[in-house]
Amino acid sequence: MKTLKYILCALNIALLLIGCSEKPPKEEREMAEKAFKDALLGKDCDRENFLAAEELVNQAREAINNQKYDEAKTLFLAAKERADAIAKYVREHPDECTPKDAKGDTGEDGSGSIAEQTFVDETGDPNNPDMEFPVIHFEFDQATIYADDMPLVEMMISWMQNFPEKVVRIEGHADERGSIDYNLSLGEKRAIEVKTKLLQAGIDPQRIKIISYGEEQPVDPASNEDAWFKNRRAEFKRVN
Amino acid sequence: MSFFSKLAAAFMLIMISAPAWAQVRVEVTEGAISEYNMAVSPIAVTDSANANLAEDLTAAIERVFDITGYFKILDKRSFLEKPDTDFAAVDFKSWTNVGANGLVKGRISGSSGDVDLDLAFYDVSGAKQLFRKKYTAQANMLKTAAYRFTAEVIKTLTGEEMTFMFSKIAFVEKNGHQYNLVVTNFDGSGRNVIHSTTKTILLPEWSADGTKIYFTSHESNNPNLYVIDIKSRKITLVSAYEGLNTSASAHSDNKTVSLCLSKDGNSEIYSLDTETKALTRLTTNSATDTAPTVNRAGTEVAFVSNRAGNPQIYKLSLSNPANVERLTEQGKYNQDPEFSPDGKKIAFSGRDEFYKFDIFVINLDTRVIDRVTQNQGKNESPTFSPDSKLIAFSSNRDGKNKLYLSNVAGTKQFAVYSGEGEVVTPTWSQVTNQ
Repeated sequence: MKTLKYILCALNIALLLIGCSEKPPKEEREMAEKAFKDALLGKDCDRENFLAAEELVNQAREAINNQKYDEAKTLFLAAKERADAIAKYVREHPDECTPKDAKGDTGEDGSGSIAEQTFVDETGDPNNPDMEFPVIHFEFDQATIYADDMPLVEMMISWMQNFPEKVVRIEGHADERGSIDYNLSLGEKRAIEVKTKLLQAGIDPQRIKIISYGEEQPVDPASNEDAWFKNRRAEFKRVN
Repeated sequence: MSFFSKLAAAFMLIMISAPAWAQVRVEVTEGAISEYNMAVSPIAVTDSANANLAEDLTAAIERVFDITGYFKILDKRSFLEKPDTDFAAVDFKSWTNVGANGLVKGRISGSSGDVDLDLAFYDVSGAKQLFRKKYTAQANMLKTAAYRFTAEVIKTLTGEEMTFMFSKIAFVEKNGHQYNLVVTNFDGSGRNVIHSTTKTILLPEWSADGTKIYFTSHESNNPNLYVIDIKSRKITLVSAYEGLNTSASAHSDNKTVSLCLSKDGNSEIYSLDTETKALTRLTTNSATDTAPTVNRAGTEVAFVSNRAGNPQIYKLSLSNPANVERLTEQGKYNQDPEFSPDGKKIAFSGRDEFYKFDIFVINLDTRVIDRVTQNQGKNESPTFSPDSKLIAFSSNRDGKNKLYLSNVAGTKQFAVYSGEGEVVTPTWSQVTNQ
């Protein structure tokens, strides 16, 4: 396999010489990843396109790892096209694509609730005391909140403002990649990031607890991009 | 971009890559002192009731020779001499004919209560017996005896004192929500579950005297640090600051631990005197600092920090914690550092250019980084044997995570334990019991 490595490295050099992009396609990547995230709703109802889009995103990321940036760009664009097709399908088939039961299993001890909440209704009603809490997702090794997820955080802020006696716990999680130590720190950073947004909106710090579970409580135990995306998250839990 | 700048870029790539290639070549030759062919003749029995025991002991001896990476173990199917040939009647020519440089012969006699294990080592080239030992013990103790003998042979041939075979390894066995803290012998035998819970057991670490294990648990809704006494199973809370209390690394004074606390708003490294509860802060940084590992001399702590944008290995001096030095420059994701007990190396897990997690070892004198695993699934949580000769780690190369041992050069690797769950975060006790 070492020989293979040499060949791949040599190939990279050759590619550089014949003039391929030297930077990863950032813009295409962001567009594709956003479109793919939006397409998650169509995971089951437009299975074929979903699997194709997932495969393309994975191939594109792999291409970036191998410094084949032109190839990655093409793949991301193709992935975006597929993801857009899924989004279109979802719009046209709302009944078929709405998740029937967004709740998952509860952990054996009752406390470790593993809620499959990826498809939270983004128009959740912050006037409803029983509002289903949103889940905030993150990039690999990052604790920055996606601009897309800000409405979810704002919805939570409204809810906290509407029910000032309520206390919540923000639980930070990481995907399985990386060490347990580092992922505990990363999960905590994500929880702190969300907490900071709530504090900036004037929510009383006494009403926000945080905890990190690192990589210990995956929503999806699989080892693929889809599962990792779902597992890199911050969840809100009711304390009272 | 002009052709020349492309060319320059290509050369830069070559220059950056060249040292890594050179290191790979070094790593292949390092470790193998010379080709020494070892024949381990199947241990003979006087009573067929001991046949299985004899087979186990033969395999155990072979395994220890093999994993050092110093010997080539000859296939016993090629052997010409019968295993029950008398110790004094070895036909050296028949061993030369199968290519042996050294020969181990053995015999078990007796069947009830104590049994005798007779072992001898021969220098085939010199046509003489170098030494012969007789051990009398209960059958279940004979493996230790066989290891003592093997260690003596290795010492005779290489001058190196190996003690890894007399030590224990602890790890977490994770099965869904169930966490077990397990202790085994170095070879994965003698599984002993010390603690079980569904509320997480994370990052176990032996105390210096080998009587206790530190671990982090979410037992009471915060990741607190606990210590469990292995004999009494009594669990004591060690550190319960708000936020993380993780990654304990035990000092050899048997009372101080370095750990990661996030009470200041982000992960920082501290040292904690577990008796007086006095805290010493070692890092002050808005980045994540975690996973401390202290050297045996108690002078340095290596740790993970993403202060440069992504996780890398650093070390600081305990007498002057502001004196921080970055140890890894290659790769974007290096974690899990662990000092070798001799203080010369640090093992860590890193993600390579193919996005795979592998074990690496950095030599602290030369700063050369050698790869221990490659193209064998995900490899994490390296931990050194007390003699610094072997590394234990978890690997999912066969699907689920199992406990693996490797010599430091990475030339010999074996799975030694696999249970119902996933084996994660092994930690090797620094105490040897011969």
